[in-house]
Amino acid sequence: MARFKELDPVLHSQLRLAVVSLLISTEVAEFRFIQEQTGATPGNLSVQLSKLKEAGYIEVSKKFRENYPQTLCRITPEGRRKFMEYVNSLKDYLNPEKP
Amino acid sequence: MENQGKVMSGEESLKIITEMINKTKANVRQGSFHLLLWGWLIFICSLGEYILDRFTSIENPWIIWLLVIPGVFISFVYGYLKGKKSPFHTYADMIYMWTWIGYFVSMVLLFIIQSGRMDLLVPYVLILTAVPTFISGFIIKFKPLIFGAMFFWFFGMVAYFGGPQISPLTLPAAMLTGYLIPGYMLKNKISNGTV
Repeated sequence: MARFKELDPVLHSQLRLAVVSLLISTEVAEFRFIQEQTGATPGNLSVQLSKLKEAGYIEVSKKFRENYPQTLCRITPEGRRKFMEYVNSLKDYLNPEKP
Repeated sequence: MENQGKVMSGEESLKIITEMINKTKANVRQGSFHLLLWGWLIFICSLGEYILDRFTSIENPWIIWLLVIPGVFISFVYGYLKGKKSPFHTYADMIYMWTWIGYFVSMVLLFIIQSGRMDLLVPYVLILTAVPTFISGFIIKFKPLIFGAMFFWFFGMVAYFGGPQISPLTLPAAMLTGYLIPGYMLKNKISNGTV
């Protein structure tokens, strides 16, 4: 468990990790899509998106489509870098014998 | 996914990452519509022109190619509406879309510079068509489309070296093997939910 302390606390949370994992391969994703895929409640997802936004990992923008508000999320270069670091730390943890 | 207090294990983290990344893979696989639309359109136009030229006395058999104009319109409108409705866009979607737009621009330019000798155009059209087909096959990890691209290269060479009797038939043959068969296989996979 000691090695888990090295993992980024912003990403080492189920919902935030799921959100960033979804955004890593998408150019842009809607709030509704993220909610459907993660199974999170709108309230909890909003809170976690705010945390990711405050940390500079994602960008959140709002626009209207056919008179309905739409929240769009995309990962930032910083978020991408942190995710890669997280994955590398995870690899080290899961395969400690490999350098 | 609501339990924020729970400490995740490495395996759990990895599972979440894999699961979520897999959920954003299938978007571009809806592209069977364009393969079938263009496969049928070019198949009908090329074979139609061949039949009209060989077996009728119609003066301008190439006129059948005007069907391509509504095809371009339908393709762009469908792509635009699908893209607008999609709740997410992957980088693969973007590469897929811009590769085909780049191909479309190249084709238009090719038709402009070679408009005087349309009969010479077929090998170049086929060889050029192989490129976006090949890239798309790799993007969506769909082997029949990769093999389809290889057929375009093959029929491009046949069109160039085959002589005037064989060349006109290479276009419909390439459409059948390069677009229609992979297009129906892809459609089948999508409807079976195996994509």
